[in-house]
Amino acid sequence: MRLTRPFLLAIVAFAILAALPLVLSGNLLNASIKMMIAALFALSFTLAMGQAGMLSFGHAAYYGLGAFAALQMMRAVEQQVLWFPTPLIPLAGAFVGFAFGLLFGWFATQRSGVYFSMVTLALAELLFTIAPNLSSIFGDESGISTIRGPSWGFTFGPDNQVYYLVLAWVAICSLLMWGFTQTPLGRLALALRDNEHRVRFLGFNTHVARTLIFAISCLFTGVAGSLLAIANEAANYTIFSAQASANVVLQTFIGGAGTFFGPALGAAVMTFFARVTSDLTRSWLLYQGLIFVLIMLFAPTGLGGLVAQHAQKVRAGGWRLLVGPYALAAIAGVLLIAGLVFTVESIHVVLTDAYAAARRSAGGAWVPYKLFGTSFLPNSLTTWALPIGLLLAGGLLLPVARRLTMAAWREVTAVPKTDDGAVSVPARSSEGASA
Amino acid sequence: MEYLVVSALNGIVHGLLLFMVSAGLTLIFGMMGVLNFAHAWFYMLGAYVGFTLTRHGGFWAGLLLAPIVAGGLGVLVERYMLRRVHKYGHAHELLLTFGLAFIIEEVIKLFYGDALVSYQMPDYLRFAAFTIFDTNYPFYRLFMGAVALVMFVILYLLLAYTRVGIIVRAATYKPTTVEALGHNLPLVFMGVFAGGTAMAGLAGGVAGAFYPTGPNMAVDFGTLVFVVVVVGGLGSVLGALIASLMIGLFISFAVGIQVSLADVLALVGLGDWARSVGGLLTLKLQTIANSMPFLLMLLILLVRPAGLMGDRQ
Repeated sequence: MRLTRPFLLAIVAFAILAALPLVLSGNLLNASIKMMIAALFALSFTLAMGQAGMLSFGHAAYYGLGAFAALQMMRAVEQQVLWFPTPLIPLAGAFVGFAFGLLFGWFATQRSGVYFSMVTLALAELLFTIAPNLSSIFGDESGISTIRGPSWGFTFGPDNQVYYLVLAWVAICSLLMWGFTQTPLGRLALALRDNEHRVRFLGFNTHVARTLIFAISCLFTGVAGSLLAIANEAANYTIFSAQASANVVLQTFIGGAGTFFGPALGAAVMTFFARVTSDLTRSWLLYQGLIFVLIMLFAPTGLGGLVAQHAQKVRAGGWRLLVGPYALAAIAGVLLIAGLVFTVESIHVVLTDAYAAARRSAGGAWVPYKLFGTSFLPNSLTTWALPIGLLLAGGLLLPVARRLTMAAWREVTAVPKTDDGAVSVPARSSEGASA
Repeated sequence: MEYLVVSALNGIVHGLLLFMVSAGLTLIFGMMGVLNFAHAWFYMLGAYVGFTLTRHGGFWAGLLLAPIVAGGLGVLVERYMLRRVHKYGHAHELLLTFGLAFIIEEVIKLFYGDALVSYQMPDYLRFAAFTIFDTNYPFYRLFMGAVALVMFVILYLLLAYTRVGIIVRAATYKPTTVEALGHNLPLVFMGVFAGGTAMAGLAGGVAGAFYPTGPNMAVDFGTLVFVVVVVGGLGSVLGALIASLMIGLFISFAVGIQVSLADVLALVGLGDWARSVGGLLTLKLQTIANSMPFLLMLLILLVRPAGLMGDRQ
């Protein structure tokens, strides 16, 4: 294996991850565990999506099945029905994920394109509706819980040990998935994405190939689910919900499905974002949705695509031209975000029952509400002058920043200074950069 | 007998309602190739518009405004969002509407909270239309069915007998030719998208007053609508009608049947074995009534992957 730059970067990334428990503790360490699991989930999802073009809206099904397989295994170990080392529990999730991936994938890959998406969604919904009724396997509405058994000299009590267990599995699975993309089947996946008809005319059984690729994706999803089960020691049927399937889609495309590690980046960033913002505001899902739609509109290649585009330009020395416009765009962005967040949070506070009660006790008059440590009066003009001013300023600044950014990008791409000659970025990327 | 008649009526009404939403979805898909993931969220929007208007303005104003608001939002979405990402392909459009569904749901939650809202029909519509076998059949169910039927007839007449309908149908088959003949294709697209979302909004306004109106209504209904279009065949309005009625009837009959696989196996003498195994075999049909549409979909995929009325891919 050649030590290429991405490969070196991956090694550095995993080395940093391995060192994290030395500096992080408690809550943050737990967050890192969840981020790594989400990253693995997104990577496995991308195996079907990015490689073979199969956009699954029901990947939570295999995630949940992996989790329940692991929980049942752990419970069997706990009740001493059988002996199985805790670090190898994800194998159970992998097996169940693969088996159901084959079964469900066989149905879903009957169709391609948007049909496939809808069928996968319906299959996940099938599990979601049946699971609470099968209490022997999935528990009742409260789910099942168990504990991690000690094995191989580890107790798996402290978060540290769980962290390294998860890290090891994520590293191994990432390597395996990357390896898979280099195998003949992995290359075939790309061909299937680009032109299925042609692959069929070349003599391949495309249905079998697509089913296999889907099942392999589900295998790694099952591993991610098991890791979640090991980390949480519990799960219930809501793990199959459409919300869970939706999350991985959002995270993957925010990260950018076109690059191998983009989805992992997106999943880690968005999991962290969710963890931080869900404590601060109940509208965090709205912000996540807005981020997703903005990325879809203005940066279709996602964060990973943006990073890849810029890495090339930074090496070529083009960053000097871009710093100015980007700073302006950042200011405009901050103004707009501040205005939006203020509006949303104000609406949220004013419409709560608590505020309505406060108003009633004040005889129906408007009472001030607290936000960001300051009091505001909902019916005063000065309160609303703030967000309107912010939004106006941002809205006026943004087109200017956008024009400057596009001009700068044109200049950067016009003079190709890369080592390998004139590789110019297509015009679309200038729009992407202005987001 | 009573069970049969009442279940059949309920199933047909539920089916017609499903059709109101899935017809728009399938029309939009057939014409533009866009699978509007957010379609059921326009249905939800319609219900909430109706709810708001019952408090300020009245029930009928709500029914009038629900399709206008949903259709208006549809225009904006098509003009300023879908058209932008059209060049990146259909998967990208699907993802965009998927994100949009999220935003609609969260904005509604922001204003109306996470709980169900009490969207009620006016009292003068709350009476029994007729009594069959001692069961009072609510008039409102018939009203919902009638609205859906009227809409279907109008849609059919519009598509079959008007100039606009001819252009729309032609654009489904050969969009570039239609454009070459001098028709404003983007305007036609926008019109169809607005029409489809308006229909979903109207369905929401009508059905929200009878069924629970809450933040989950779009997800629950949305997956059903997707099943309908997979079963019926994407792009076929007639297929959507047949599939909607099938699924409506399937659910309404399954809800009342207390049979499990074990009871069926008992007919061939395996009942005791099945009961000892438990799990799936002893689940009563009643408890998994909500899973029936998905099972029907799997069956259809097995025997006719293109859907009942669909073309192969």
